Amino acid sequence: MTPTRIRLARPDQLTILWQDGLTTCHPLERLRKACPCASCREESGQTADPFRVLKPAELEPLRLVKMEPVGHYAYKILWSDGHDTGIYSLEYLRGLEKPELIPTT
Amino acid sequence: MSNASMPKIELPGIRNVLAVASGKGGVGKSTVAVNIAVALQMQGLRVGLLDADIYGPSIPLMLGVQGQVDQATTPLPLDRHGLKVMSIGFLVPPEKAVIWRGPMIHRALTQFLTQLDWGELDFLVIDLPPGTGDAQLTLTQTVPLSAAVVVTTPQEVSLIDARKGLEMFREVRVPVLGIIENMSYFMGDDGKKYEPFRSGGGARLARDCSVPYLGEIPIDARVAASGDEGTPLVARHPDSPAAQAFDRIAKVVRRELESAPAANPLPGLEMT
Repeated sequence: MTPTRIRLARPDQLTILWQDGLTTCHPLERLRKACPCASCREESGQTADPFRVLKPAELEPLRLVKMEPVGHYAYKILWSDGHDTGIYSLEYLRGLEKPELIPTT
Repeated sequence: MSNASMPKIELPGIRNVLAVASGKGGVGKSTVAVNIAVALQMQGLRVGLLDADIYGPSIPLMLGVQGQVDQATTPLPLDRHGLKVMSIGFLVPPEKAVIWRGPMIHRALTQFLTQLDWGELDFLVIDLPPGTGDAQLTLTQTVPLSAAVVVTTPQEVSLIDARKGLEMFREVRVPVLGIIENMSYFMGDDGKKYEPFRSGGGARLARDCSVPYLGEIPIDARVAASGDEGTPLVARHPDSPAAQAFDRIAKVVRRELESAPAANPLPGLEMT
């Protein structure tokens, strides 16, 4: 399953149009939380530390700064909070949200 | 510190990039890589060979390169047997162990690919190290690999590892042209076929994993001798059954890659 188009149609949502004609819409907060990198996976298993000092970049609204292909099988995302170690495989991206048939405008 | 950023490596002068892999060491992968590269060159193509095994480079010995290369006087990649060749073995003496972690492997391979003048090539054959580690990750994530072939020997212990190599290519979506079974058999002086490493494993693996079976390379003492002497078998003994097997495999590789449509790169992000 391969994407044909990837768009940031809204600043808070990524839209991926897939080869089979279906589309997945990814709210950025959810996409960021679903980061598959080793440290995020470890953190997601633990309770958040309420006393952790936030970095200034984390206080601003989350933005997707850059999204680059990795080989033929994944994308690497750079987030506005500075995080960039997540490699999202195509299968993983497709499975995160329910694909829908959305007519392209 | 974030992961080293992975700039795409563009290789515009290189039409096809073929990785030669095995799960396991010692199955003859470098021998296969060298002989496929020379076989392609003998068919009239412009071919490069990159030894991506930083820890245990075999290519210099197999091509008769002795000693280190002085880059001030000899440009890299080297010209040998009609190929353009690069190996860390040209820079580091064989008795010195290269004890490096991943990011240095990544940097070295990236430099070999982007900072040397490979010129225009029809094929770049990359001899991967065994396993599914840093060199493989670097190459599959940053280099436009056209396809891979996986080398195994007939017995179960190397099939198990070959399966892992196949799985790795499946996950990173690199097409596998097929399985090559090395050291399949040898023909005794009595005319009988001997199979010291068992038989049929490569074909079974290909069937189980739904990839083509590219064929067998027989055990031939001349293969090892050529390797140690530095002239690849296909050049030294072109009429030998092993050389003919390499030649056949090279023809299949060429046919598959020259007729395949170039894989489209993944779409970039559109910021509207």
